[in-house]
Amino acid sequence: MFQGFPEIKEALMSNKMQAAFMVAPMAIALRAQGVPVKIVYLGHRYGSAVVVRSDGPVHRVSDLRGRIIAVPSRFSDERLIVFRAMAANGLDAKKDLRMVEMAPPDVAGALAAGAIDAFSMGEPYPSQAEIGGFGRVLFHAKQYWPDYISCVLVVRQDVIDKRPDAVQVLVDGIARSGLWLDEKEKAKKHRLHAADFVGRFYYHQDPKLLRWALTNPIDRVQYEPLSPRRNDFETIVNLMVQTGVLDHAIPFEEFVDTRFAEGAHGKTAWRYEAGDESAK
Amino acid sequence: MKKILIAIAAWLTAITGAHFALNVNWQVLMNDRLPEAQRKLNVAYIPVT
Repeated sequence: MFQGFPEIKEALMSNKMQAAFMVAPMAIALRAQGVPVKIVYLGHRYGSAVVVRSDGPVHRVSDLRGRIIAVPSRFSDERLIVFRAMAANGLDAKKDLRMVEMAPPDVAGALAAGAIDAFSMGEPYPSQAEIGGFGRVLFHAKQYWPDYISCVLVVRQDVIDKRPDAVQVLVDGIARSGLWLDEKEKAKKHRLHAADFVGRFYYHQDPKLLRWALTNPIDRVQYEPLSPRRNDFETIVNLMVQTGVLDHAIPFEEFVDTRFAEGAHGKTAWRYEAGDESAK
Repeated sequence: MKKILIAIAAWLTAITGAHFALNVNWQVLMNDRLPEAQRKLNVAYIPVT
């Protein structure tokens, strides 16, 4: 587990890590800089929000003018959604806001301390601010960006070339986990269980935080469809160019390999309930 | 003197053993030594969606 995206980028480039979940624009920027990696799948859809101080003066997007907002990286969809929301309200995020980059685990504390006026971040940090009572969701990403993407699965090209079977197993597992989390009648039960074991054994966070993020409401974070789609990524690339973090648009095929997502089509949800020894 | 040296050696052995048992991730170390085709992939993430 890492605490920030720049460290993940370094670990991936040095082959300490062979795959990584990272914000989509960072993956695109890496590829544009010639780093041999490809996006093979998505981590989730939605699950990002802009949060302001609950007792603060910001009640509408236009109230953000002149404020300080934290984003996880200049190469993040959380930054792009701010540009998109500001533009929809007749503002320019470049001129009308001060953006600062901050590691995700630090933003809730910074908001509570008054060091920033708002943050744009993925879950569970918006939930943390809400539960703590010091933050209020100004808007969820889906309000300004249908089919919003944040984190994607990136794999080193040498691993794709030499070990495609291992990559397929990884993608299949994520696809089946997503289907399990979104399984119709059991979605809430599965999400509550996932919040418990992910909070305790992977994120090392209070499970109640993840319970809130995964169920309040149930579609706050969605886990299907997770196949990388051309239109979604062309939107991201265009926004990156418009906001000055990418010199020129690069073609979808150059940074996405869809074969593993295609290989995961038709997969079914894991058969697993709390208390089972293993998933099948 | 001999007793003190034995006690120090025993203490160092116990502390070293406890360190190896508690702080070293042997699965990761062993994985790095496997042939490339058999290694588990290391997947990086941060505690955020």
